[in-house]
Amino acid sequence: MNNLYLIYKNMTRKPLRLFLTCFAIFIAFLIFTAVTTLKSALNSGIDLAADDRLVVVNRINFTKSLPIAYHRKVAAIEGVKDVTHVNWFGGYYQDAKNQIVTMAVDPESYLRVYEEVVLEPEQKASWLQARQGILLGRKLAEAQGWKIGDKIPLSSNIFSNKDGGHSWDFVVSGIFDGIDEHYDTRYALIHYKYFIETQTFGGDWIGWMTLVTEDPSLNQQVADAIDNSFANSQNETDTSTEKAFNKAFIEQIGNIGLIIFGVVFMAFFTILVVVGNTMALAVRERTGEIAVLKTLGFSAKRVFAMVLTESMLIALIGGFLGLAVGWVIIEGAKSSMAQFLPNLAVGGDIVGQALLYMILLGLVTGLIPAYNALRLNIITAFNRS
Amino acid sequence: MTSLLAQIITVTMMNIRSLPQRLWMSLAMVLASAVVVAILLAFLAMAEGFESTMNGAGSDRVAVLMREGSAAELNSVVSREQVNLIAESPGIARDGNNTPLVSPELYVVVDGLKKSSATEANIPLRGINAEGMAMRENMQLIEGRMFTPGTNELIVGAGVLREFDGFAIGEEVRFGKNVWTVVGVFSTGGNVFESELWADVTVIQSHYDRGSSYQIIRAQLATPGDISDLEKTIEQEPRLNLEVQTESAYFAGQGKQLQYMAIFGRVISAIMALGALAGALNTMYTSVADRAREIATLRTLGFSNFSAFCGTLIEALVLAATGGLLGSVAAFLFFDGLSASTLGGSFTQVVFSFEMSPDLFAQGAKLALLIGFVSGFFPAWRAARLPVIVAFRAAT
Repeated sequence: MNNLYLIYKNMTRKPLRLFLTCFAIFIAFLIFTAVTTLKSALNSGIDLAADDRLVVVNRINFTKSLPIAYHRKVAAIEGVKDVTHVNWFGGYYQDAKNQIVTMAVDPESYLRVYEEVVLEPEQKASWLQARQGILLGRKLAEAQGWKIGDKIPLSSNIFSNKDGGHSWDFVVSGIFDGIDEHYDTRYALIHYKYFIETQTFGGDWIGWMTLVTEDPSLNQQVADAIDNSFANSQNETDTSTEKAFNKAFIEQIGNIGLIIFGVVFMAFFTILVVVGNTMALAVRERTGEIAVLKTLGFSAKRVFAMVLTESMLIALIGGFLGLAVGWVIIEGAKSSMAQFLPNLAVGGDIVGQALLYMILLGLVTGLIPAYNALRLNIITAFNRS
Repeated sequence: MTSLLAQIITVTMMNIRSLPQRLWMSLAMVLASAVVVAILLAFLAMAEGFESTMNGAGSDRVAVLMREGSAAELNSVVSREQVNLIAESPGIARDGNNTPLVSPELYVVVDGLKKSSATEANIPLRGINAEGMAMRENMQLIEGRMFTPGTNELIVGAGVLREFDGFAIGEEVRFGKNVWTVVGVFSTGGNVFESELWADVTVIQSHYDRGSSYQIIRAQLATPGDISDLEKTIEQEPRLNLEVQTESAYFAGQGKQLQYMAIFGRVISAIMALGALAGALNTMYTSVADRAREIATLRTLGFSNFSAFCGTLIEALVLAATGGLLGSVAAFLFFDGLSASTLGGSFTQVVFSFEMSPDLFAQGAKLALLIGFVSGFFPAWRAARLPVIVAFRAAT
């Protein structure tokens, strides 16, 4: 009779209890996987931002624009390698709910600053020439089923066209990829010049600027130089790294996120405590049998290992099932959630964390009963039962 | 019949008195149902608080006009000319001096320092005139005084004061190169307007280079809820590329987002409840197994199967109800009145409070009793059906 067979027999003695215990662990880890994945998807914008890129926005708020003249002034500041400017277009296709992230940019400098954007040379050339050309990210093009050469009317929920109405016609000049698969390509780029000449208000204003410095160590110095040069002007600026900017924006979602994650985490641990209690009880109940095993000549060490393995096995079976089903659910939800949370994926760090908690659960619930079994005095055990 | 009742009472009391013997398992069940109930209540309280903040703002007597296609105030632009055209439209209420009750408003986004996280977050700064003030019937100054038109004075919503630093009366606030003085605190009965700063509309127009443009027109309707006259005016006048809706419809649309939170909360607590149920079932099966000999003895003495069944079921219900009560109390202590803020429809912060209503407690109680019932039913069934001989054998 080897250990594994004994463990198996012990575990399955009360199949219903085994099932219920595993099920509770399964639920706990299912929720853990889903919620931590959501959380990391929310934060992914921060992690992907480049270190050496700075964002210049209006000090009042990023929704307030800056004069286009600032672009040239910033380009002249020492330490600035390249700078581009961006306007938020507020685009949607046909239905206001079908939002298309569209930005009006200065094409050449944008492609220089955003090196993540990978584009075929001939597509790039054709976009630079076509005033009405629009550049689509691969994921966006696939989601909407648009191909190069397609004519697509986009509407804006902010601006209106000089011809009347809120729609602009664009022709797809190219489709770009990200430098790696994590780069979110669900957005479109249009020509700033075409946009500014055809809209009815807000001419010669830009939304914000993005720049790269010659060296990341110059970041602070450059940021200060930019903000100082516009201090006390009509439009003061606020320059920060792209990372800090994204982080500040995400933080605005605010304590709601914090409260939800707090509550769910508390629940996760409580379920683990409750389950752990059951598992520990299951071993305690068997004191008599452990005494028998010892009488039969099983070494204390062997009994210890068996008890611990059993609790580990239960924690791992339930935990892995939860992790797996969580993964399946996330994969299924990926496409429908892509518009809000493009980076929804169960990452390696989440799997690692889950594994750690499973091992902890197995250890904590198994260790004390196992230790008791190790020290169990046969005679007292028999007396007790 | 009375003897059956007496039997049930006897068995139940016996079970409950013996609970301390199974202390840890019983506590586990109480804890499990407490957590599930607390989660459910936390989510519902959040959704309820947000909803009442949004809904409280909307009045049926007020129409909201924005440029067509703009989903939120921030995206809209309205010209002085359009404001005048609307003011002359039929269907708009007038005051004693025959002045139409129309409030053109302008809205910019400024930064404030959040108390909770010490990070900057967006606050709306609304330019408003006397008519606009009058239109918000539940608005009242709770401290200080009204801003003087034409000056850099502003009044601050009670919600902003609660969530953000540096807006106490008398303090000077700097947005860009303009310095404002806080002169008053206003309340609008807990609705979304409390998340705003208010100042004179013409001052904001000049400080923010908005010329004579506005973003939104609020107009008091002659007949509450009736926007047909305004719709007709807009249709006939090509210069009016505006969309009109009642204020309550506008805010109901804006409040949609957090309703998803409530759904998310229900799904999470339903799944969690399944997990807790598994734990509770374990507890009850163990409880029945522990007392197998007791139950067998009772039945040998002539107690009916039904009373054994009821005894176990009631034990489960008592444990789950205790947990539900604990969970409700914890949720009430931690979450009721908790002030929170999040990003609303226009990239700005909406400040709201968690609200725990009696209806929510009822929902929590229902959930707890459901857990108790399901987790008690099957073990009770087993207790009632277990042959006496087997029970005696199993117990020895």
